Amino acid sequence: MVSFLARRIASMVFVLFSISVLVFVIFFATPGVDPAARIAGRNASQETLAAVRHDFGFDRPLPVQYGIMMRKLFISRDLTSFVNRGVAVIPQVTEAAPVTFSLVLGAAVIWVIAAIVVGVAAAVFRGTIIDPVLMILGLIGISMPVFWLGEVVNLVTQNRLHDSVFSWVPPLGYVPFTSDPWMWFKAMVVPWFVLATTYAGLYGRVLRSALLETQGEDYVRTARAKGLSERRVLIRHTLRTSLIVVVSLFGLDFGALVGGSALLAEVVFGLQGVGKLTYDSLQNLDLPVIMACVMYAAFFVVVANALVDLVYAWLDPRVRHA
Amino acid sequence: MLAVLFVIVAACLAAPLYASRIAHTDPFSSNIRGTTLVDGKQVPVMQSQTGGLGLGVTPIGPTWDPGHYLLGADEQGRDVAARLLYGGRNSLLIGVSSAAICCFLATLIGLVAGFFGGLLDGVLSRLLDIVWAFPVYLLAISLSVVLISQGIDLGFMTITAGSPWLPVFIIGLVFVPYVARPIRGQVQSLREKEFVEAAIGLGASNVRLIFSEVLPNVVTSVIVFLPLMVAVNMLTESALSFLSIGVQPPDASWGTIILDGQQLIYTRPWVAIAPGVAIALTVLALNVFGDGVRDALDPRAKLR
Amino acid sequence: MKRRAARIGIVTLGAAVLGVIAAACGGGATSTPSSTPTGSTATTGGTDRASLMAKHRGGTLNLLAKSAGGTLDPQVNYTLQYWNLYQATYDSLVAFKKSGGQDAFTVVPDLAEAIPTPTNGGKTWTFTLRKGIKFSDGRDLTVADVVASFQRIFKVKSPTAGGFYAGIVGADKCLTTPATCTLDGGISADTTAGTVTINLKAPDAEFLYKISVPHASILPANAPSSDAGSVPIPGTGAYMFTTYDPNKELVLARNPSFKEWSVDAQPDGYPDTIHYGFGLTDEAEVTAIENGQADWTLDQPPADRLNEIGTKFANQTHLNPLTAMWYAPLNMNLPPFNNLKARQAINFAVDRNAAIQIFGGPNLATASCQVLPAGFPGHADYCPYSANPGTTWSAPDLAKAKQLVQESGTAGQSVAVVVADDEVAKGMGTYLQSVLTSIGYKASVKAISGNIQFTYIQNTKNKVQISVSQWYQDYPAASDFLNVLLGCASFTPGSDSSINISGFCDKGIQARMDAALALGVTDQNAANAEWAKIDAAVTDLAPQVTLFNPKHVDFVSKNVGNFTFSVQFYWLVDQSWVR
Repeated sequence: MVSFLARRIASMVFVLFSISVLVFVIFFATPGVDPAARIAGRNASQETLAAVRHDFGFDRPLPVQYGIMMRKLFISRDLTSFVNRGVAVIPQVTEAAPVTFSLVLGAAVIWVIAAIVVGVAAAVFRGTIIDPVLMILGLIGISMPVFWLGEVVNLVTQNRLHDSVFSWVPPLGYVPFTSDPWMWFKAMVVPWFVLATTYAGLYGRVLRSALLETQGEDYVRTARAKGLSERRVLIRHTLRTSLIVVVSLFGLDFGALVGGSALLAEVVFGLQGVGKLTYDSLQNLDLPVIMACVMYAAFFVVVANALVDLVYAWLDPRVRHA
Repeated sequence: MLAVLFVIVAACLAAPLYASRIAHTDPFSSNIRGTTLVDGKQVPVMQSQTGGLGLGVTPIGPTWDPGHYLLGADEQGRDVAARLLYGGRNSLLIGVSSAAICCFLATLIGLVAGFFGGLLDGVLSRLLDIVWAFPVYLLAISLSVVLISQGIDLGFMTITAGSPWLPVFIIGLVFVPYVARPIRGQVQSLREKEFVEAAIGLGASNVRLIFSEVLPNVVTSVIVFLPLMVAVNMLTESALSFLSIGVQPPDASWGTIILDGQQLIYTRPWVAIAPGVAIALTVLALNVFGDGVRDALDPRAKLR
Repeated sequence: MKRRAARIGIVTLGAAVLGVIAAACGGGATSTPSSTPTGSTATTGGTDRASLMAKHRGGTLNLLAKSAGGTLDPQVNYTLQYWNLYQATYDSLVAFKKSGGQDAFTVVPDLAEAIPTPTNGGKTWTFTLRKGIKFSDGRDLTVADVVASFQRIFKVKSPTAGGFYAGIVGADKCLTTPATCTLDGGISADTTAGTVTINLKAPDAEFLYKISVPHASILPANAPSSDAGSVPIPGTGAYMFTTYDPNKELVLARNPSFKEWSVDAQPDGYPDTIHYGFGLTDEAEVTAIENGQADWTLDQPPADRLNEIGTKFANQTHLNPLTAMWYAPLNMNLPPFNNLKARQAINFAVDRNAAIQIFGGPNLATASCQVLPAGFPGHADYCPYSANPGTTWSAPDLAKAKQLVQESGTAGQSVAVVVADDEVAKGMGTYLQSVLTSIGYKASVKAISGNIQFTYIQNTKNKVQISVSQWYQDYPAASDFLNVLLGCASFTPGSDSSINISGFCDKGIQARMDAALALGVTDQNAANAEWAKIDAAVTDLAPQVTLFNPKHVDFVSKNVGNFTFSVQFYWLVDQSWVR
């Protein structure tokens, strides 16, 4: 177990390190990214440009610059932006994180519940019209681009029906939970549902096929033979085992979303989350922020991967006893 | 659903015909000061507002007449319907070719890593791990932002800045781990199988083994993945284009038209709605088609 | 000055001639300002102002912006967003008058008692400091602070250190080794007399303007000698920054040490607090203002909301012409635009009204062919690139353009238009691509991030042939357009900081510009007449396609009264009231 954990951590560190080097190298290999002129300001004289370049260490060898950046990011934690002079990077990420987390957590609750309802209903009503209808609905959910769905929903809730049904929807943007929980809720409801649509469809379909697969397994047949009610079998045995598949998917998706994959939803709903921050920093070619965001995102994905393995072992009796 | 797919593809292929023969418009050239005939009157395509302080310019809305501005004009006064068809060509092209690249690379990596194992497998798997650890959209976006303005020169091939082959290449690349991992697993288990062992026992060469024994068994999975990858890639392409780092103006794709429509969403919602419906329908059709292929060939194949 | 792009336009200062409009529209629904013909309202002083102050003082003004403007350091920041706020928070020796209309181009004494007459042939300026002024941390302002602040311009590597302040004796050394900057021989203080003396290398007609902008703010001598970033530095203005979080908010409160010494230079303000919130989308900002939840937004309203605010909220919307331009610099050192006929051709071909349509409609901008904007010193109407060549632009002349392209022998060449990736700039790029195609080029458009486009198009290494950019005045002098954008000194091949994007360097014209600058020291009117001729001569050589001079849209809530628009620094935030 200890050696397993050690190997797992070593591999995580290796992946994170490789990514940081990769980001750094790609950045400096890109022409036109010299941040000095942007830091120096518009129409700065050549002397000022040179002074700024020296100040920020852009005239030093790349490995040294990499070392300095990593030290500032992880040890002294005072890394500042290349674009917004003097603005610290780490607080930007920690400010954006709760926004993304609010968005993803709420959406996750919705899509997990919706997926269980859809998946179970489709499995239970197999052979009736309900099953294919639910599955097609799920596919439609998967097939719509999330940013487009967001736009259309905004059109309805912010404009076309804003004077009647949706008058309660506040203007786009984030309201911190700590400042006004009720406003936070109202501001997030629409983004939650939009973000959840795709995943609800996907998970509903995955869950259904897992349920059908498990129903054929020996121990489920045994449970049924023991005279347990059909509902009890479904909930105690079939659903529990089938959820394993969903849990592993969920871990990866949740990790990726918290790490910044919710970007498109954040963009359409004007939420300044991690994804938006990453995208903005990429657009600005603001290496310190890019680096911090990418490390943050990769960290979540890698940790999610590890957690999924653990939960998998805990949930699946076969894996646990093996 | 196949019929829907067929109709969409055929319509997009007929785009030049529609633009030149029916709508009589050049979908790639601005028509800001132009006029068009509505109800027997010449009206400007881009209408300046005159009420109050007279701020803002609104493009002409849908005429519902295929002869001109069926779905209205975009912010450059271009015919949205014609652009929608042209955009579809790009979207489909990018979806299909990036899926092909992705499946090709993934099969190659999966075969090599799974068959030879050892150090080679270790290196390739680590590489896949690194790509995998990037949230896939973020990776695609990072690459696009960096590459879209300067293009890429790999020595044996050069893609110029703004070329639609750039998103093809990027999207094809970022999804490789999703396909390569299951294929690698499959190859690994195939290698243990008796018929492969037997072939090795008979002294067959590695190359022969891969092509005659392993590949045919993997190909069905790849075929199953293909339509699903096209669907996923089309969604990714639209996302990149929506973030203005995919297809570059004045070229169109369904994603860029949604982006154009975003600024007109309250006044001329059709500009954004129409391409979204087109994407959703196409992807839906591809998914249904893909499911059918999977059920027929390999019901247990999973993309992730 | 080049400033941060908003969605419709770009946000900056300016608007010379029609300041009257600012006053005419000034004040929202609730305000009843006593307008004077010059357009200045509350800042005219006297009992009128005292009673208005008694009636309207207090409350919180809520401002919005999509994002923060970067560092808060007044000697480093170069964005309108904060230059606008520095008016109420920091002072220089002299200042642009806080008033609406053309008056805002006037320089008045601020921390100095009076504007001195230079001696030593115009090279030595001696300022006497006012007494009794305190910084917001309670410390007294002294001559040492003034000396330290001028040194600090170089120590913090202010963007304009080389541009505006290199004329001070000793500046050369400060530019090469900023850390040890003393400005030896350039600036000296007399503590007992309370005077500061500045020595210039040569007389400079624009010197007072240069020390009126925020980069010459007087800060405490102990201010950090590097960019202060998001930590506020104490100032002498009526307000002070209390909280700054670039991802959330910026808060200004009254400076407890402030006593009004000059209504013209640093008037007391109406609101008790000014709150700047960041992070909403421009759509949400407009909605918030319509609902009275916020009072103003920095960002120009999104295109599809313009009609709504122009009709339903016309009396809360203020339109002011800017002394600024949108233009397409043509690279004179690369084909096809190294050919005069090719440059003239594109100038004839571009429909300025189409560009204005993309910008938001005919009431948001004025067509132009020349470098100097209307209402600017030295401007005289001139437009050779029109269907009817003469003083103003009327229509494009495509036939002439096509003919010129044929004559130039550049037909069929590839041209890439490099634009920023915001909607308006991309729209301009797409339009220019269309025009270039129609006159016989193989044109494409390349949109890159707005934050890098500006440095990207300047660097000759990137081989940009044509781009779309904007220029907003720093201060009201013809040289700020002609000499800065098209002077030989502004062209540095291979550098990201080479504001002469066209690479235009004509020895004869440069000599005339130098002469006009020198003439301005003694006779500004004669100099301006010469600038008008230089403008025409430059325009004939077509180093750029001037598109239009934009207007600025301010959309305020119905609570805002006494809206005053300065031609130099835009809306005088603290001179509006919310109660």
